[in-house]
Amino acid sequence: MERVIEFLRYRIVAYAFSLILFALLVTGTIINGGINWGIDFVGGVKLIARFEKNVDIAKIRDVLSTNDIHAMVQNIGTGVKNEYIISTKLLGKGESSEKSYEILKKVLGDNFKTIEYLSVETVGPAIGDFLKREAAKLFSIALIMMLLYLSFRFEVKYAMGVIVALVHDISLSLAFCGLLQLEIDIPVIAALLTIFGYSANDTIVVFDRVRENVQIKSKQTFLEIIDRSISQSMSRTLLTSLTTLFAVFALYMLGGDVINDFALTLLFGIVIGTYSTLYIASPVVLAWERFSSK
Amino acid sequence: MTRGFIYKLIFIIFIIAFGIVLILPTFGENEMEIILQDDVTEEQVASLLRRFPQDDFEVTRKQGAMLIRGFGISDAVMNEIRIYPGVKDAKILKHWSEKVFYAKKINLGLDLQGGMQLVLQADYEKMEKKTGEKLSESDRVDITEQALEMLRNRIDKFGVSEPSIRAKGSDAIEIQLPGVKDPKKVKKAIGTTGSVEYRLADDAYTQLAGQWLKEQYGEKEVPIDPKQQYELLQEISKGVNLPDNLELLFFFQREEGSRRIYPAYPIALHNKVALAGNDISKAWIGKDEYGRLSVHFKTTADGASKFAQVTAEENHGKKLAIVIDEKVRSAPQINVQITTGQALIQGDFTMEEVEVLSRIIKEGALPVDLTIIEERTVGPSLGQDSIESGFKAIVVGMSGVMIFMILYYKLGGLFASIGLMLNMVFILSLLSRFGFTLTLPGIAGLILTVGMAVDANVIIYERIKEEIRDGKSPRASVSFGFDRAFWTIFDANLTTLIAAIFLSRVPGPIKGFAVTLIIGVISSMFVALFITRFVFELVTLKKDLKKLSL
Repeated sequence: MERVIEFLRYRIVAYAFSLILFALLVTGTIINGGINWGIDFVGGVKLIARFEKNVDIAKIRDVLSTNDIHAMVQNIGTGVKNEYIISTKLLGKGESSEKSYEILKKVLGDNFKTIEYLSVETVGPAIGDFLKREAAKLFSIALIMMLLYLSFRFEVKYAMGVIVALVHDISLSLAFCGLLQLEIDIPVIAALLTIFGYSANDTIVVFDRVRENVQIKSKQTFLEIIDRSISQSMSRTLLTSLTTLFAVFALYMLGGDVINDFALTLLFGIVIGTYSTLYIASPVVLAWERFSSK
Repeated sequence: MTRGFIYKLIFIIFIIAFGIVLILPTFGENEMEIILQDDVTEEQVASLLRRFPQDDFEVTRKQGAMLIRGFGISDAVMNEIRIYPGVKDAKILKHWSEKVFYAKKINLGLDLQGGMQLVLQADYEKMEKKTGEKLSESDRVDITEQALEMLRNRIDKFGVSEPSIRAKGSDAIEIQLPGVKDPKKVKKAIGTTGSVEYRLADDAYTQLAGQWLKEQYGEKEVPIDPKQQYELLQEISKGVNLPDNLELLFFFQREEGSRRIYPAYPIALHNKVALAGNDISKAWIGKDEYGRLSVHFKTTADGASKFAQVTAEENHGKKLAIVIDEKVRSAPQINVQITTGQALIQGDFTMEEVEVLSRIIKEGALPVDLTIIEERTVGPSLGQDSIESGFKAIVVGMSGVMIFMILYYKLGGLFASIGLMLNMVFILSLLSRFGFTLTLPGIAGLILTVGMAVDANVIIYERIKEEIRDGKSPRASVSFGFDRAFWTIFDANLTTLIAAIFLSRVPGPIKGFAVTLIIGVISSMFVALFITRFVFELVTLKKDLKKLSL
């Protein structure tokens, strides 16, 4: 006899869990100062620089803050590769990104003997607004396209389940970035869109099973069919999450600091995506079914 | 084995072989030629040799050059070597597979090979305010085109190997300069726009200044540092009692056979700007009535009246200096009054001279200000670090997934692992063949594909297992399993594709990520549904097979 886990029995608990988690993450985000938009979106300067050996993070922060520069400083290498990521929003009022870079470079140059700039990024504020609009547009169009495709290949109720799970995953991931104050820059946006694709993929495999099982004539209720389908595809869901998590974890550990935030966001998103596949997407389908058949 | 099987087998072997050949220029053994400077020191050569240890690389020294042979010579390494002291140039020689087959080296993004990316914005609003005219969309496109041409000229001087300069919409320009030697200089050259002016010269004070310099300064060379030059000019001004309505600047000449310009002599100019750079609308190279090379130009309607004024009788015999960035680059003499707005500069010019002169006039004619709104510079050493850590992550991630799959699915896991490696080969060969750019996020996309590529295998295997549990024979289970899994995999991957296609429209390095993801999804579907299926069918051909190793 095949084993069926009653996932849907805990749907209220799952909803509550998601809501509480979201509330906690959002509260954390607000306490930490809101979403930390990266320079790609608000403009600013981001440097990767190598300093002489005896310079440490406190010293750099000290120099910057005495010169009225609010910057994020992060150590990414030690020894001969005494390297730091320094990023700051636009300095002063309405200064251009180029000007901010000049100011930052001058302050650093005045206070430290040898600095080698490994990478320099300056982004003006105009690009950011354009990007924000563009990113929002892309997310919405991708969402609509997915809704259309799924309504065509499946039924509207399944499409709703996928979309709710997607919105769930993306908002939680975004709030997660806010809690950890990860800078939302282009790579993190890519991570969010990837979570989008991954989560949809994950959920559809389960729904594919539900669709198949519904066609087999049986006395089971829709709720029982869903539980059975999730159970049947459970090992696949976990296995795929595991292999993907493993690969992304390798990226997180070894991929270098430039890609760190991207990998971290993805790690969280995959875990949440798996959870929403099991506990969020299907209850929504059930709710939609019950709601529409009334 | 049926004939169909044999055809399939041949087809599979063929595409695998082709895939491997296609990635050879990127991952195989490469040769790089390093051209040394004439005055290279032994110490500089030694530091180069240290960079390529004998154990890993084969180094051949030739007259004025070095040949390095080995693995892992990427564009980032090439760009790194280019900025070594004592190195004139470095280039990676074509791999044999590039000559024989259609193979191509993979395009590395600027974040991996090092380089600079700039986005310039044209300030059309300011221009409209200045001229009081509204610009149509096509006007803007025209001016942006003109700016592109100008930027190309400017960047050409720096000998960047493959610069990409293109318009981004109607009012922005994106410049990508891989492996640029001196980003600061390039930026400066790009940033100085449109400061061309035409000013009348004063011969009497020019002579006085020249004399003063000869007497006081003697044979000493004029300093190269702009600040010292400025101080020197101030000193001369005092020495010759320059009136307030005049200013001294240096006349710059071009060093023969090189692109360098040097200050030749001081020249006295009127403060009043007779003609602004953008009073000229067009400049081109032509011939004068004696058949000599000359520079022709046309003023705008506004400029025509100004030009008529400055070329009036009273100024005949005087010189009109062309000043770019506070440097006098040319000072033709005014001989006739020109009221038509069209004129030419005559002289015994060489082709190079007229080219430079027309370029200067054209630069001045660019009516719009360009400002740098985005800059990304990555040093080649950071790029190489990123490549290395990225590939380390791929290898570790892949090995982990493979070990896991083999432990869990045994023989099936082994097939999936081979499939995973084939996937990598296919993705990389498609990326390089079709000239897509591999960026750091692209490497991340590859790793993600590693994790997700086995998903199709997992779905199929779980299905086959279920069929076996239902009591079907191994052969039937394989057939049913693949058939049933097909649409599941298709639907699931198509939605990922939708997300990836939208991702590919985000500008910047993310495009590279999306492209790898798209290719990865397609390739993993092909490998799982076609190649793995073929292998399984081959295994289950044996009629007496009782148990499937899954």
